[in-house]
Amino acid sequence: MSQGVVAARSTISLHKLGVFCGLSAAVWLGSAEAPTKLVNAGFSPFIISMGMVMGAFVARWTVPTLLKGTGFMFNDLREKPHLIVWGLLAGMLWAVGNTLTVFGVRNVGLSIAFPLWNMNSLVGLAWGCLLFKELHGASLKSQAKVVGGALAIVLGAAVLAMATAQQNAGTPGKAATGIIAALGAGCMFGTMYIPYRKAYISGMNPLSFVTIFTFGELGTVTLLTAINSGGASQVMVQLHLARTMLFWPFVGGFCWVIGDLFQQYAAKYIGIGRGIPLSNTNQLWGLAWGALVFGEFVGLAMGARLLILAGSAVMIAGAVSISMAEPPPSEMENWDAAMHRECDRYGLDRVNVAAVVAGNDPLADDKHPRRWWEVLIMLVATGIFVWLAVGTRAQHITVNFPWMYVLIVGTMIPLGLCGTLLWRRTRFS
Amino acid sequence: MKRSKLVCILTDVHLWVPVVVLILGTALLMTLR
Repeated sequence: MSQGVVAARSTISLHKLGVFCGLSAAVWLGSAEAPTKLVNAGFSPFIISMGMVMGAFVARWTVPTLLKGTGFMFNDLREKPHLIVWGLLAGMLWAVGNTLTVFGVRNVGLSIAFPLWNMNSLVGLAWGCLLFKELHGASLKSQAKVVGGALAIVLGAAVLAMATAQQNAGTPGKAATGIIAALGAGCMFGTMYIPYRKAYISGMNPLSFVTIFTFGELGTVTLLTAINSGGASQVMVQLHLARTMLFWPFVGGFCWVIGDLFQQYAAKYIGIGRGIPLSNTNQLWGLAWGALVFGEFVGLAMGARLLILAGSAVMIAGAVSISMAEPPPSEMENWDAAMHRECDRYGLDRVNVAAVVAGNDPLADDKHPRRWWEVLIMLVATGIFVWLAVGTRAQHITVNFPWMYVLIVGTMIPLGLCGTLLWRRTRFS
Repeated sequence: MKRSKLVCILTDVHLWVPVVVLILGTALLMTLR
């Protein structure tokens, strides 16, 4: 690696980079909900969810292929083959958690279910402390900023969910099962961050990790959808019936993958205790799309509007608190100890892993030859989206176009800025 | 994959915590159906 290339790298701190990644993740994860709002024809939530996961599967192969190439990813996986198990496991946890959210919303309504599964950030924070020594060695003030910030984000989520729940309060008599389902979803999502963190302190590239994650995700979602929809043949029938709207969940899945990639980088550079609560502020962006573009809150009472403002303010305050809690050197020593545990256990090169964890992958600047099948992957992915778009029937939903353009621009800006920062500082390592 | 690496994976607490949570979550899901 030449000195000239090193000098060209940005010197932004990894904490700032991770915070930007967490906030960009929130923007994209929140915006991923927008395309699915265009589906109003009463399709099964399992089919919509499966459409999103299929779109995510396509995106999880194309984006990494475009950014780094399959040669880089296969090399990364060959060096740390043990992490394939954790990649699959994370995808399976997400799939089970996502299905549990469906039961939660059905039984107790979104206003109760959402804050319950939003507690995944607290579960992630707990696992981060217990298994990866996050917050160990940090001052009480710093710990209070992170834990207080995470609690504020969950509280803000609860207030927003209560203020915006306009419809049902769930199925009567099934409240207990709905609450258990939503809490279960929170545990699934929160535990999913264990494989994330393990992969990144072992020096794996987030782009390699998501290509494995998606197999666990798609396989489990397909299985669960088949079980819940009356068999594989029924799934095919329902997918065929949903053909005219599948483009929208696919686009949602694509946006979701971009958000998730930023979340992965946040988990890598600031840990799950700080990164996940930041990305959980996605509710604010989902709310902005609902309120400004789809006019979901027209006629909302003044009390509810005030609640929305209060919930948003609490959530933003939580995000600011976490953003200001940069880990001190004493905490970083504990992060290093967690990293050394992985190196010793799985025979990884300490120096190399430390460089990758610090965003300085020695191989990142090397040219990786492009393969012919990468062009094929791009063509197939583009073909799927074009094919779905051509067969899409217009949905009869009122949309505020000026606000839609504003939010699209507002979504693209973090992609450009944070993507550029990630490239300049880490070369997407 | 070498046998020793397999043993390292199978004795890793980072594996069993998510596996147990996944089993419990799947059991919960099957109960709620």
